[in-house]
Amino acid sequence: MDLENYYEIDRVADFIRTNNFTRIALQFPDHLLKDSSKVLRALRQKLHQLHLDSDGSTPAKLYVMADTTYGSCCVDEVGAAHVKADCVIHYGHTCLSPTTTIPAFCVFGKAPVRASHCAENITKQAMKSGKPVLVLFGLEYAHAIPDIKKAVNVEASSHQDSISVSGVLFADVRSSVIYPLASKKQTDELLGFSYNQDHKEDHRIGGLSWSLPAGHKMEDYLLFWIGADNSAFTNVILTFNSSETVRYDANEGFLMADVMQQSRILKRRYYLVEKAKDANMVGILVGTLGVAGYLDMIHQMTDLVTRAEKKAYTLVMGRPNPAKLANFPECDVFIYVSCAQTALLDSKEFLAPIITPFEAMLAFNRGSQWTGAYQMEFQNLIASCPVEVGQAPEARFSFLQGGYVEDYDLRADVDEETDAVHSLVNVTEKALQLQNKDTQLSKGKNARSGAEFFVGRSFQGLEINGNDASPQPFLMGRTGKASGYKGEQT
Amino acid sequence: MVKFTAEELRRIMDFKHNIRNMSVIAHVDHGKSTLTDSLVAAAGIIAQEVAGDVRMTDTRADEAERGITIKSTGISLYYEMTDEALKGYKGERQGNEYLINLIDSPGHVDFSSEVTAALRITDGALVVVDCIEGVCVQTETVLRQALGERIRPVLTVNKMDRCFLELQVDGEEAYTTFQKVIENANVIMATYEDPLLGDVQVYPEKGTVAFSAGLHGWAFTLSNFAKMYASKFGVDESKMMERLWGENFFDPATKKWTTKNTGSPTCKRGFVQFCYEPIKQIINTCMNDQKDKLWPMLTKLNVTMKSDEKELMGKALMKRVMQTWLPASTALLEMMIHHLPSPATAQKYRVENLYEGPLDDQYANAIRNCDPEGPLMLYVSKMIPASDKGRFFAFGRVFAGKVSTGVKVRIMGPNYVPGEKKDLYVKNVQRTVIWMGKKQETVEDVPCGNTVAMVGLDQFITKNATLTNEKEVDAHPIRAMKFSVSPVVRVAVQCKVASDLPKLVEGLKRLAKSDPMVVCTIEESGEHIIAGAGELHLEICLKDLQDDFMGGAEIIKSDPVVSFRETVLEKSSRTVMSKSPNKHNRLYMEARPLEEGLPEAIDDGRIGPRDDPKVRSKILSEEFGWDKDLAKKIWCFGPETTGPNMVVDMCKGVQYLNEIKDSVVAGFQWASKEGALAEENMRGICFEVCDVVLHADAIHRGGGQVIPTARRVIYASQLTAKPRLLEPVYLVEIQAPEQALGGIYSVLNQKRGHVFEEMQRPGTPLYNIKAYLPVIESFGFSGTLRAATSGQAFPQCVFDHWDMMSSDPLEAGSQAAAHVAEIRKRKGLKEQMTPLSEYEDKL
Repeated sequence: MDLENYYEIDRVADFIRTNNFTRIALQFPDHLLKDSSKVLRALRQKLHQLHLDSDGSTPAKLYVMADTTYGSCCVDEVGAAHVKADCVIHYGHTCLSPTTTIPAFCVFGKAPVRASHCAENITKQAMKSGKPVLVLFGLEYAHAIPDIKKAVNVEASSHQDSISVSGVLFADVRSSVIYPLASKKQTDELLGFSYNQDHKEDHRIGGLSWSLPAGHKMEDYLLFWIGADNSAFTNVILTFNSSETVRYDANEGFLMADVMQQSRILKRRYYLVEKAKDANMVGILVGTLGVAGYLDMIHQMTDLVTRAEKKAYTLVMGRPNPAKLANFPECDVFIYVSCAQTALLDSKEFLAPIITPFEAMLAFNRGSQWTGAYQMEFQNLIASCPVEVGQAPEARFSFLQGGYVEDYDLRADVDEETDAVHSLVNVTEKALQLQNKDTQLSKGKNARSGAEFFVGRSFQGLEINGNDASPQPFLMGRTGKASGYKGEQT
Repeated sequence: MVKFTAEELRRIMDFKHNIRNMSVIAHVDHGKSTLTDSLVAAAGIIAQEVAGDVRMTDTRADEAERGITIKSTGISLYYEMTDEALKGYKGERQGNEYLINLIDSPGHVDFSSEVTAALRITDGALVVVDCIEGVCVQTETVLRQALGERIRPVLTVNKMDRCFLELQVDGEEAYTTFQKVIENANVIMATYEDPLLGDVQVYPEKGTVAFSAGLHGWAFTLSNFAKMYASKFGVDESKMMERLWGENFFDPATKKWTTKNTGSPTCKRGFVQFCYEPIKQIINTCMNDQKDKLWPMLTKLNVTMKSDEKELMGKALMKRVMQTWLPASTALLEMMIHHLPSPATAQKYRVENLYEGPLDDQYANAIRNCDPEGPLMLYVSKMIPASDKGRFFAFGRVFAGKVSTGVKVRIMGPNYVPGEKKDLYVKNVQRTVIWMGKKQETVEDVPCGNTVAMVGLDQFITKNATLTNEKEVDAHPIRAMKFSVSPVVRVAVQCKVASDLPKLVEGLKRLAKSDPMVVCTIEESGEHIIAGAGELHLEICLKDLQDDFMGGAEIIKSDPVVSFRETVLEKSSRTVMSKSPNKHNRLYMEARPLEEGLPEAIDDGRIGPRDDPKVRSKILSEEFGWDKDLAKKIWCFGPETTGPNMVVDMCKGVQYLNEIKDSVVAGFQWASKEGALAEENMRGICFEVCDVVLHADAIHRGGGQVIPTARRVIYASQLTAKPRLLEPVYLVEIQAPEQALGGIYSVLNQKRGHVFEEMQRPGTPLYNIKAYLPVIESFGFSGTLRAATSGQAFPQCVFDHWDMMSSDPLEAGSQAAAHVAEIRKRKGLKEQMTPLSEYEDKL
């Protein structure tokens, strides 16, 4: 497949031309970076050509962006703002999360797929399960969907007896253009989950949208996913975990019905939620600076954590990795606010679990229960205000410790009774208490705030007030390179 | 049955000298419950209005079905002593009325946590021993536990009826058997001698041993007979008692007492002559329906039968006669009242065991004096399911003060540390309740020395807690109970219908409460785990969970899972090094096994993070041969900061070392919880930090760089030190006749078990076998054993120790490797272990 076609140079140029953008940022993921110069050249040529055709406007300036701060599936708005770009062309895999300020055009790429073989599998599945089939796909296969549709029709007509074509439902790509959320109305439209026109149920996920006929539920459908086992697929199976799912791998051309995996992921997430309930300090990781509503989400999370009488710290660190997070050993759990497809970070390498905002709501909202329903896109959460479930006061049962654990809001009435003066005395008393050096081995656990945690550490920083005030003699330091200093044996 | 109103019962509760709190303990199937029944039938307290239609012993359906006790049940008995009976009583008392709170406990080892809970709230114990089987494993275990709690024991030799009816042994032989039984029990009691408790051994001639037939409802102590003969012979009662036991012989022909058998055919041992023979005679006469002979004999004994009872024949007649002549309740209750301590007496010496705080503060004094006016000190020992679905009574003993309806109490949980706010709640007691048989009665208050059930606290207490008055902020909690069994067998449960999960969560919460031993947790993989002491225990728990706590929602359980430990065999073959992610920091470490006995010492808390370093280094250098200086360089214990692994600093002259200590410790806590082999806890590994190279800038040697590196280097050193798996091993005790031995041995061999002791029980055809059996092989063991020995062998399994599996888990195809693979698969890990090269770096 040639470059022009793969990167849709014509469509991109057209888009730029019609909107009269002048400064354009081209965002490439790492693995497509090698093509960036060729794309740039081709695009510039094309634009120049168009410019000649219709004179008047100034020629557009193109910039290539690479190494995005967060997930490469999201539009890097901050990066684009550095060059004052008025539009971003995003290449490669995308989550189509709405942007805040800059319009973006997404080029999905075109992955090869054998339409007929795929269609054959779809009809086979439809017949086997007896359920209506909903075809979802990775966006890189969007180009082939019309072909597959056609092939399915052909296939279906050859088995006249069994299924009608209406039994197979295809999702649509919403749009490859992302406009920033300007007006309130538009926000509603994007966030609103159920616009019940004609009694149809609308669903959107990862840039795909479809509507089910009245009276049908997602559980009734067999999900047929065309594409690789990537984060987009995980997103789908977790969100619709009650539907049966099969995956058609277009590269290898085979079908996989792996139900085990999804229940395993869900169970693991359930464990993380239980673990989060025991946390005293929570780090909120900013995982995106572009996805619309991220600020609201962070505020909402801070509120949530504070209301649960825990301490929240907001951390901005780009893409998190174990080494970065281990710099905050005081945090018992991290909430990662990011787009749906980068939200799941579960690696054994991390010292503390990382959960999504949805899971945080389950963990920190008293009385909320894990029902199995799962939500990845945090935009949907903003709308759903946390409901306080009225419950008889009960200490929280921790499954990690196998017993009741203290809960500070329940014990609040203890504190109320000791009057302010008394509590002040207590605080000063504590502050004056000498730290017992002998108990250091057991300290550091159960700290309620960062400050408390540091008090429990054995290393408190340089001790300037050492007893010995006389200057220290000079000492010869180490020489050589960090990979192996001089005099170090192997 | 004694008919009472709650007010009347409450009145006796104030007489702290006239209360006896006691538990009935014994080996499984020695007849505790049967004996208890006969006591209850005579003296059990029931509410006046329900008299007639309650059955005290009717508890759980599955208990009846299996014929074993599962939960301990408490029953109050009322007994009015006659003035005559109290003549010899020296202790303090207030009138002749006595309240006896009796707790019947299970005998099966899987439920011994129930026994522990029962012992905590009682002061005395009635030890029941089968006269034929003698002192068994569980008898010994519970006795040990009781003495550890400073519970004074009295003994009853039970199932006397078997001597007379089944075995037809003659007097002298029976005497020897009883003598042996008592001697065996005394040996155990003497081992756990405690100066404060005084002599706890039991002597028939002192009236601390009873002989009973629970099934037939009769029992006697030597004082019963002594009283009878004292008047007849005109000798002192106590003198008569001494003559009825031991080497005292009587010859009716010469009417002389001797200390040796004179050899004359009429010369018989006092016990045989005056106790055994008369009973035997009566029983035989009844069984042979020689009524013409029987009536005159009974008249002589002052036994009057009702006219309808005279119509009875054979066994029924015998039962009736014996019950009238030697009622079990009189003999046993009088023995308890005479020889078991009242709360007022017992708490004087038990306070040391009970109270954690200083023994001279007001709380300790209140407990010591059993002071109803003092501050409230109450220990909740277990939670009892209420008829109100899902709610529980908090059941416990008031040690000082009074607990009353509506009072605000401080609830100190097991993790409460005085001065901190952890595990502490202040709540209202909604109601205080006492049991009147099956019926609960609300009372205004309950004074110290009594047991009580409270409503409204169940949402703050998991298993046990100490309660005190709201304002008593200085009170220390009462010491937590120590269980003799540990939950080593685990199953994963999940619900059949995914939407039942909330039900399951709620059910597990309740299950955790209802049983003192069961632990409900969650695995890394998100599976809910129930851990119990044994297969039977788990089976009961699962049944309770499904039927009672989840309203019948269906659950799926996995096969029993055993948790392993990871350890090392040798010192690391070389010093391993790992680099930090930025490659600027290097940690060098070695692993070595801890000295033998050291992990156990850490488990027992003899060595731990809270010790004074000087004391710790003394123990380590004297008992385990550590270098004195090295002992001071322990950085931490782990996992959970208290576990049986440690990090020791062996570096010399390294810059910034103190700065990374916290990070290394954090990495170690993490790694020791999830070992490199199968992410099981580590055990008995000492990690030595040999050298570190750190970047000169503080930011480049922060936690982010060091914590993951410490974890990697710990794994690398574990893998280079010949890692091994430790598996839990049961101590199995089996009692069986000789012909069953072959079957036992073959089953044990087949299950990788080995016998280390085989002993014939003196005077019986029974053998006692002790063996070690890996827990993983124990599933279905009881069943297989029963089948192989045609039901003659009954095993009791208790977790004993961790045993190293000799095979190398790193070697493909070995047994240990198979276990590792299985665990990894269950946990959803990568099937292959992460190779050493992932953890170790090269310079």
